[in-house]
Amino acid sequence: MQDWWIVTAITVTYLVVVLVIGLRARDQDSSTLEGYVAGNRNIGLFILFFIMGAEIFSAFAFLGGPGWTYGKGAPGFYILAYLGLGLLPWWVLGPKAARLGRKYGYLTQADLMSDRFSSRTLSAIIAVVSVGAFIPYLTVQITGAGLLFEYSTDGNVPFWLGALAAFLIVTIYVYASGLRGIGWTNVVQGIIMVIVAWLIGLAVANRFYGGVGDMFRQIQAEAPEYLTLPGVDGLGWAAFSSAILVSSIGFTMWPHLFMKSYGADSDKSIKKTIVIYPLYGYLLIPVFIIGFAGILVLEDSPLSNPDDVLPELVVNVANFSPWLVGVMLSGALAAAMSTGSNLAHTASTVLVRDLFVAVFKRDMPEKDVVRLTRVFVVVLSVLAYGLALLNPASLVDLLLGAYGAVVQFFPLIVAVFFWKRATTAGAYAGLVSGSLVTVLFTFFMAPPFEIHAGIWGLVVNTVLLVGVSLVTRPMAADHVERFVEGSKAPVADVAVGATRTGPATR
Amino acid sequence: MSRDKKIAVGMSIYFLVCTVAMIWPGAVVANRIEPIILGLPFLFFWYVAWVFMVFVGTLVLYRLEYGEKK
Repeated sequence: MQDWWIVTAITVTYLVVVLVIGLRARDQDSSTLEGYVAGNRNIGLFILFFIMGAEIFSAFAFLGGPGWTYGKGAPGFYILAYLGLGLLPWWVLGPKAARLGRKYGYLTQADLMSDRFSSRTLSAIIAVVSVGAFIPYLTVQITGAGLLFEYSTDGNVPFWLGALAAFLIVTIYVYASGLRGIGWTNVVQGIIMVIVAWLIGLAVANRFYGGVGDMFRQIQAEAPEYLTLPGVDGLGWAAFSSAILVSSIGFTMWPHLFMKSYGADSDKSIKKTIVIYPLYGYLLIPVFIIGFAGILVLEDSPLSNPDDVLPELVVNVANFSPWLVGVMLSGALAAAMSTGSNLAHTASTVLVRDLFVAVFKRDMPEKDVVRLTRVFVVVLSVLAYGLALLNPASLVDLLLGAYGAVVQFFPLIVAVFFWKRATTAGAYAGLVSGSLVTVLFTFFMAPPFEIHAGIWGLVVNTVLLVGVSLVTRPMAADHVERFVEGSKAPVADVAVGATRTGPATR
Repeated sequence: MSRDKKIAVGMSIYFLVCTVAMIWPGAVVANRIEPIILGLPFLFFWYVAWVFMVFVGTLVLYRLEYGEKK
């Protein structure tokens, strides 16, 4: 049997298993919006952990992560740092979001903010920014899946077919099962990712250097500049430190993470997830090792795109058995698919609920909202697949720009929970100015002192949020009390459904 | 100061230390290759270790918040 047949057979087996699990998670509950989007708010710890873990480790973990340490060296550690720190704000914010979500029936981030600031336009802005970030992000996952397939089978499975196979399956189970489908498939995908990453990480170090310690000794002797900051052609201290800070702050502002709090069954589940989460970051250790391995192995013929280092080493240089390559491909696909499924699910929810329903058709029956959300899962997946085939170069820029804007939700969220004096005008001023400053320093001019554009955005955002709020009329006391005081009671104290009246602005 | 306040202040300081250890100026002291620990260059190990410290901190905080109710 030819090698690429074995690789394909293993991977197809994996894909079928995921599809079956995703479809079996389907139950009648997913016919209501709450069941489809928040899993009826009783997703337990085990699943919640893997949902969050598997969605954060995307195709990036297997392509971009090793690309950083291969291309630059030590600056790649910034990813490890922000994954360790990123969920800490969630200890305070997560339970508060969950409490208010239960009380008022929120399903999205925009529900919360537009209710607090009494503005549907704000909901629309948040929706547009979020979807603007999601589509390129989803496209990157699809592209990653297609490239990995093509690489691992020597081109026998072409890009378009590999990408299509992986994301057709994702679209089917997200369409059919909603958050529950994502939950169970993420459990399987999360476990496979961790095992595969460590397996190939150690195998690569062994194959080329005889072990991890020996590998770093050799790099120390021949290219020590990769092992310390600022690395090769890398980041200065200001850029490195501020990148860690802005990524940590922005981490939980991603709507697909934020919305998971609404699916949690208690404060305890949310906090348990945060406790275990940093250890999930250790998935990056083996892929970093693979990136470092590439430095000397590929010394004579450097890759034009550093992100290819993992598939290049595993498939072309190491000559591993096709069984191992097949397992590697499954693990990497797991990373791309689990993130992709969350993105498609969240993006369609946000688009339908926060933009379409909130602004244009507020009296739409819930059944139709669920149906429309499902339709948009398919529409957005097709759109992202089309973009992946065209592969426009501006995609990464779009992702960067949108992420810069997503980070700017942070001061508003903090104000919702803690600052009664914040006003609608202040929220607009902060969000708009912060996003503009971020975009300005990301694309049009170098940020001052090499400090990350997002930090400058956050500073301007916070100053204007506070300043403009203080010069405008305070909002009604009983309205803001609902958010600041109302978010303090533990989740268990709020009876599910009993006090649910729906967002007041709807 | 109430017990909850003390926990909040104490843990905030702890996590601040963890954060500073991973950025400037904390990480500057660890910016070297030797000693190699567990096969990893020192700076790499430094990040692995501090991520572990974050884990320990959240575990302690979790026990403080939920521990005595059992």
